[in-house]
Amino acid sequence: MADYSDYDVIVIGAGHNGLVTAAYLAKAGRNVLVLERRAQVGGAAVTEEIFPGFRFSSCADGSGYLCREVQRDLQPAVEILAADPVVFAPQPDGSRLLIWRDTAKTALEIARFSRADAERYPAFVALLGKIAAVVGGIARVEPPDIPDVGLRDLLSLRPLAGPVRALGRKHVNDLLRVLPMPVADLLNEWFESDVVKGAIAANGVRDLTWGPKEAGTAYALLYNWALSDPGCFRSAGVVKGGIGALCDALAASARAFGAEIRTGARVEGIVTEEGRAVGVKLAGEGTLRAPVIVSNADPRTTFFELLDPYELDAKLVRHVRHIKYRGSAARVLLALSGLPEFTALDGDDPATLQSGPIQIAPTLTYLQRAYDCVKYGEFSPHPYLDVMIPTLLDPDLAPAGQHVMSITAKYAPYRLRDGDWDGRRETFGDIVVDTLAEYAPQVRDLILHRRVLTPPDLEAAYGLPEGNPSHGEMTLDQFFHMRPIPGYARYRSPVGGLYLCGAGCHPGGGVTGIPGHNAARAILAD
Amino acid sequence: MPATKYAAIVIGGGHNGLTCAAYLAKAGHKTLVLERRHVLGGAAVTEELYPGFRYTVCSYVVSLMRPEVIRELELAKHGLHILPLQSSFAPMENGDHFATYPDEASTREEIARHSKRDADIYPKFEQLMYRMAYAVKPILGMVPPDPSRPGLRGLRTLSDLGKHIRGLGKDTFHDLTKLMTMSVSDLLDEWFETDIIKALFGLNGIIGTKLGPKSPGTAYVLLHHYMGELDGAFTAWGWQRGGTGGVSEALASAARSHGAEIRTETPVAQVIVRRGRAVGVALENGDEIYADTIVSGCDPRVTFRKLVEEKELPEDFVAAIDRFKFRGSSGKVNLALDALPKFTAMNGSSPMQMVEICPSMDYLERAYDDSSYGGFSKRPYMDIIVPSTIDPTMAPPGKHVMSIFVQYASYDMPQYGNKDEQRDAFGNAVIDTLTEFAPNLKDIILHKQVLTPWDIEQTFGLSEGNIFHGELTLDQLFFFRPAPGFADFRTPIRGYYQCGSGTHPGGGITSGPGRLAALEILSDRK
Repeated sequence: MADYSDYDVIVIGAGHNGLVTAAYLAKAGRNVLVLERRAQVGGAAVTEEIFPGFRFSSCADGSGYLCREVQRDLQPAVEILAADPVVFAPQPDGSRLLIWRDTAKTALEIARFSRADAERYPAFVALLGKIAAVVGGIARVEPPDIPDVGLRDLLSLRPLAGPVRALGRKHVNDLLRVLPMPVADLLNEWFESDVVKGAIAANGVRDLTWGPKEAGTAYALLYNWALSDPGCFRSAGVVKGGIGALCDALAASARAFGAEIRTGARVEGIVTEEGRAVGVKLAGEGTLRAPVIVSNADPRTTFFELLDPYELDAKLVRHVRHIKYRGSAARVLLALSGLPEFTALDGDDPATLQSGPIQIAPTLTYLQRAYDCVKYGEFSPHPYLDVMIPTLLDPDLAPAGQHVMSITAKYAPYRLRDGDWDGRRETFGDIVVDTLAEYAPQVRDLILHRRVLTPPDLEAAYGLPEGNPSHGEMTLDQFFHMRPIPGYARYRSPVGGLYLCGAGCHPGGGVTGIPGHNAARAILAD
Repeated sequence: MPATKYAAIVIGGGHNGLTCAAYLAKAGHKTLVLERRHVLGGAAVTEELYPGFRYTVCSYVVSLMRPEVIRELELAKHGLHILPLQSSFAPMENGDHFATYPDEASTREEIARHSKRDADIYPKFEQLMYRMAYAVKPILGMVPPDPSRPGLRGLRTLSDLGKHIRGLGKDTFHDLTKLMTMSVSDLLDEWFETDIIKALFGLNGIIGTKLGPKSPGTAYVLLHHYMGELDGAFTAWGWQRGGTGGVSEALASAARSHGAEIRTETPVAQVIVRRGRAVGVALENGDEIYADTIVSGCDPRVTFRKLVEEKELPEDFVAAIDRFKFRGSSGKVNLALDALPKFTAMNGSSPMQMVEICPSMDYLERAYDDSSYGGFSKRPYMDIIVPSTIDPTMAPPGKHVMSIFVQYASYDMPQYGNKDEQRDAFGNAVIDTLTEFAPNLKDIILHKQVLTPWDIEQTFGLSEGNIFHGELTLDQLFFFRPAPGFADFRTPIRGYYQCGSGTHPGGGITSGPGRLAALEILSDRK
């Protein structure tokens, strides 16, 4: 224990989870300092003026998934601009599949592709929605230390009780069976249209390196579903001012509760004494001391860079070394002189149909083929694109009449088998634009500026190892009591006084604030 | 209704049906086994399809046989005589090879020849797999309850399961949960550096499964193959004297010795159900035979969708059976050879009992890619044995039979034309690929038998040609094999039971399902 302390708690990294943890701890009366390496808070959830006059949610995108507890407790002052439809999936033949918030309305759209699927969709949403609610409950739980489960652990599973009761005993088996499934198998059980399956399956692979036929992708779909607005498997919309505004608001709440936040303050390392974390070493400054250190950085960075691996036991080092990150998506940011119209609009109003996510994932087969290449260290010649045009909801992000378009493009491996990204970055950029142009021919002529962020670029800019947005893949072998590593899934680390609060912890990625919320709960419990 | 002549009728003289019959007869019940074909054994048969040459037409090695069955049915007395297959040879594309030998030391040397580091770590990896196998073994002997309404007996099983898991201790449990959920490729990457070694371990993760080595869930399939127990030595593959048909003969002889009656060429058309109770079977020739216990050794689709009428089964159960995944992924090529094939990469001393055509991990993954859109691998993975080198009863002196297990192929491959054309195209891909490694092959072929998954279904009644009666994926194991609520060998029809590989603990020549089913039946008949 330190003889004196500068703060009660020091949080390393002002990503959204770091800010949430800091705000909760400050709210509970702790004297909290947050240290952020970059000039702005937000980590991977930032709004950046990438080109003069054009502001992007450059890494994390959309409206975020900020969980209700955090919204209720921290009251961040943000305006969410919701979109409907939640999916606009143009097809190569100029047709389209629209997913609306309203199930009945969506069924009508699905009927264009399959009557049978249209009839099954409401039942699908009803059952999987209930299963997703259980997954939402799981996300809020502090993972028990299986197999040594005590009464306290069972009590901590309370958040699950409600959703499981709502699901009903009859469907408990469905829950157990579906969680480890491939999303492709799940959808094959329900639907016949490759188009319908593609539109839904995309949400099971967006944040993973797996293709839709891999086990665990059904869970990924349900996880995103659990965090979305009720009644639909995906949320759609933007934060006014970009996703960065959300973190600015969280920072404001934290400050309002008395937390101190310093940007441009790079932590070189965590200072330990007798196996306990007692402070942090600031670049160019001395050491700041606190009895509680919280790392918002990912596990590998926390244990191998901020700490000296030699202080950790071999088994732990082995587990951390084996965490799978492997980012597999690139971000492509476009400044546009006007609004591109997708062929599939077919005369309808672009301002509505293109206001939500535009999924270039025409079929399940297309997704699978896009995935094949990444297994061999190649990027997809026909990538799956998740496209947003936030200026349709929030015109202030670009000069009048002009637009920003941000694209998540899969699959792009962190390590290329042939050549390196510096030599091939723009090649992939061209592939993305060409793919897009197949569905929206004008887009080429509208591009004023283009920025391609490969997985290594995302690593360098936002401290996401291997460019993985979730601080480690959200696969079944890195889930719940295995996340970030077996035996340390409870936000506490093997080093006394050191806690983790980032997406590397249960439940994982997305701008949810849940890891931050759960971590604060664990710290206060101690 | 005529007086019941038999206590129990077992439909299908496969190894599990025979096992079940043997146990029932041993317990003093008058048991009748009805086999559609002229030979016993189902997929475990030996047939002389070319004068003097005896083929193990479908399954070809023994390893997973449950030791308690061998013991309790005294199979050694009945002709079970297993010769260990201890040496294997795998040609590499660079002309080198990898071999394993009867003695650990030579195998270690061979590994060291490829990588000193891998040779050092190899024993630790083996220890892990033994530890995992021991951790899973007791579960293989449990009767899976219905998690949604376990009942008293189910609760007891669940608490046994819980106790067992607690007893494993943290490390073993963590390793096991990872192993259950990760890909065999990721698992091996954590241990080994040499690709050929990973490829040869990895192939046990994909046998009988329509997944590639990079697909999560395949690490469990590897473990499933580690369960093999021959005089206590895990994974020692064995050769039954006279081929796998000899195993079935031994089981049949054991059954007969206890008074069971076995009829071949007696195809069953349907199970006779009266007022929701199975009372007998109707043969294809119109005869009816009555018994108060009817057991099906066929796979779940045949058992529930062919042998009984849909109206006898609850709707959601029918749905569960209809979505049970079969997806046969393997074919078989059997050759009669005029001489031994000469493998370019083989020097005089190299062993010949087993040959693996699996030169790299990517070779295996690409073989999967070819088939994942419905086709066969252009350059398939092959597991080859030349039984005549260890068992002279298989071929005339100086001549040889070669059993080639081939993966991947699909059940339906319309792009290659009709079934005959599909078979030819598939057979040619196999022979051409193998000839790359053994140039003299084409000149020494006297007779060739090619089986696609469709042929395997036609010949052996294995739906979609799946050799395990349904894939061994997480969503089809334990509770869910073959359907939730009916994983305890019972069915929705009173007096009707299932004992095939489509039930827990699954496929392979294990006799596990047959034995567990018999014990359940006996407990009901008390």
